[in-house]
Amino acid sequence: MWSGNTLTLLSQMVNKFNATHPKIHVTESNIPSATGDAKLLSEIAAGDPPDVFTEWNPVLGEYAADGTIQSMAPYLTGTYSGVEKWLYPIALQGGEYGGTLYALPMGMNSWALYYNKSMLKAAGISSPPTTLAQLYADQAKEWKISGGKLKQIGFYPSYNQGMEYFDSFFGAVNCFDSSGKYDLTSCPGAQAEAKFLASYDSYPYSLVAAMATAYGGVAGGDDDPFVAGKEGFAMDGPWEGAQNIPVTNSAMVGNFGVVPFPNTVGGPSTFGQGNYNIIPKGAAHPQQALEFIAWLAGYNNESFMTSLYPKGGWMPTSPAGAAAPAFQAWLKANPWLNVFIEQMSSPLSVTPKLTPTESEFFTAEATASENIAERSDSWQQALTYIDQQANSGAGG
Amino acid sequence: MASTAVHKVTPTRLIRWRQTRLGLLFISPWVIGFCVFYLYPFFATLYYSFTTFTGIGNPVFKGLANYSGLLHDATFRTALFNTFYYTIIEVPFSTAAALGLALLLNMNVRGQAVYRTLFYIPSIVPVVASSLIFVWIFQPSFGIVNSLLSDVHINGPAWFFSIPWSKPTFILLGLWGLGQPMVIYLAALQGVPKEMYEVALLEGAGPWQRLRKVTIPMISPIILFNVILSLVLSIQYFTQAQVIESPSGSPGSSTMFYVTYYYQQAFTDLHLGYASAMAFLLFILVLIITVVLLKTSRRWVYYENEQR
Repeated sequence: MWSGNTLTLLSQMVNKFNATHPKIHVTESNIPSATGDAKLLSEIAAGDPPDVFTEWNPVLGEYAADGTIQSMAPYLTGTYSGVEKWLYPIALQGGEYGGTLYALPMGMNSWALYYNKSMLKAAGISSPPTTLAQLYADQAKEWKISGGKLKQIGFYPSYNQGMEYFDSFFGAVNCFDSSGKYDLTSCPGAQAEAKFLASYDSYPYSLVAAMATAYGGVAGGDDDPFVAGKEGFAMDGPWEGAQNIPVTNSAMVGNFGVVPFPNTVGGPSTFGQGNYNIIPKGAAHPQQALEFIAWLAGYNNESFMTSLYPKGGWMPTSPAGAAAPAFQAWLKANPWLNVFIEQMSSPLSVTPKLTPTESEFFTAEATASENIAERSDSWQQALTYIDQQANSGAGG
Repeated sequence: MASTAVHKVTPTRLIRWRQTRLGLLFISPWVIGFCVFYLYPFFATLYYSFTTFTGIGNPVFKGLANYSGLLHDATFRTALFNTFYYTIIEVPFSTAAALGLALLLNMNVRGQAVYRTLFYIPSIVPVVASSLIFVWIFQPSFGIVNSLLSDVHINGPAWFFSIPWSKPTFILLGLWGLGQPMVIYLAALQGVPKEMYEVALLEGAGPWQRLRKVTIPMISPIILFNVILSLVLSIQYFTQAQVIESPSGSPGSSTMFYVTYYYQQAFTDLHLGYASAMAFLLFILVLIITVVLLKTSRRWVYYENEQR
């Protein structure tokens, strides 16, 4: 599931765990992400699953609902009884299904607004925006299009992150009706968010998407128009500044700043998300698996795990991890990271509730935001589409 | 007194049985492989197409629900339309281009081997690599195609990223892989007896008539073979679209092909029952098209040794 720098970090984690836990030996196996789920399901069906599997959290609801993964509750005893309270609330939410813990993250994501300092200066803007209206006005000064060719982007909200990544900035996470079905159509936060996306539809989405794909394609996704210095503002996570920019375009180091993404919820907010470790159904060593998973989350291992976060551009899973000396040293050396860490403990940060159709919900939100950008759907039609797809997703 | 009939095994029958046994033994790896990797998955897919199945636990029988669901699925209809659009244009286009190229490369010109190699090389480039290269070639703002167009004062479109242009661009991308059918046509052209051209020349046939009356009929079985192959591959079009477009099927579902949607249902959403129904329908579709093509081929395909 991993490549490049991240794969190296994972190998370091496994080696350290094996060195410090003589009674448990972990063998690492790297699977291409496109075939990861199929391989996991085949191994479970064959009765020979791995003890631990790293998974993208939107599919956890479906897996928990159909018994593909095990509840961790039976193993949260003794030393591990305090794991749930130790986590950031948004880290816990991402691993819970029906009030039971099924997964623990090994690093969290957090999202904020990056801005290009030299472009901001060239546009005559003195400070980065704090409201959505200011963001729109500021970015409008930075677009460069001539002869049908796009030279520079101001800001385009959904070309590399779909609608779901903006949900928390508008209070649009967990929009359900009384029967528990997705109901974005009548959710005020989702309406505000969809209108926000639609407000950018006068800009040439096709050219933006083409530029983003071209940059993403050449560097396996580490590059993008912002990293290349061709975009004024971008909504992204800490890895953009900590890993992508230094590795791909060192000229941008020192030429970017980070501020909270302007929002309508009245305080620091981010969309909770991460890579979660799970214990598949039929795992031979579930207790040892939990021990390894908790260690990867940083539980009683804050110093080592947080010492690796700067290389991956990850956020810690717990306040104790954030307080660890290695992480504090990283924050001190890179003050722009404070925006991300402050959002982690904000009560306004939310992780989407795990549901059996969350994966379909995510796919629908990505398609809907693209349809808004392409003007093939109005924002109202886009919300109706999401509800239809997410609520009918449990078929076949 | 009871009598016992004794069947005498003749040496010839024994030899024949031994030969059969040996033959079966030799082909058994293939037979086992066919049963395990083709026959069983085929019937398993058919069975799963009547169930709800996520890959874990037991499939739940649902009758024809997946098939009726497909009838009411707007994305499925879009995928079907996009696939037919691509196939109907790409197959004749690529057939004509490959045949035309083979005709040119069959001419006795200097450096013939070099030209043949040059035109074949693209088809050995991995599809993922060539797809990424074409993202840059057709990049609307700094790609080479639009740069050349702007030299003649034409504002090029956004190609892969424009709803009206995305499918035509994938059809153009298909030309990159013409080397394979071109080589097959070239081999077929070299098999046409020279005497036939000599007779045609004596009869006063011009180049166009020689092509129509001699070349095309003589290589028509090869054309049929290539057309069927091309049709099947076009209906199963996937890799290039999956590599280039994100999210899948974008922009605006204009590149949501049949197999792209199938992949999404099977491996992203884990609707294996629904995806199995799609896979089985695809099989039926390809089967019908192939049978129709083979039946109608009697009118336009000429087999030299065929008794009519």
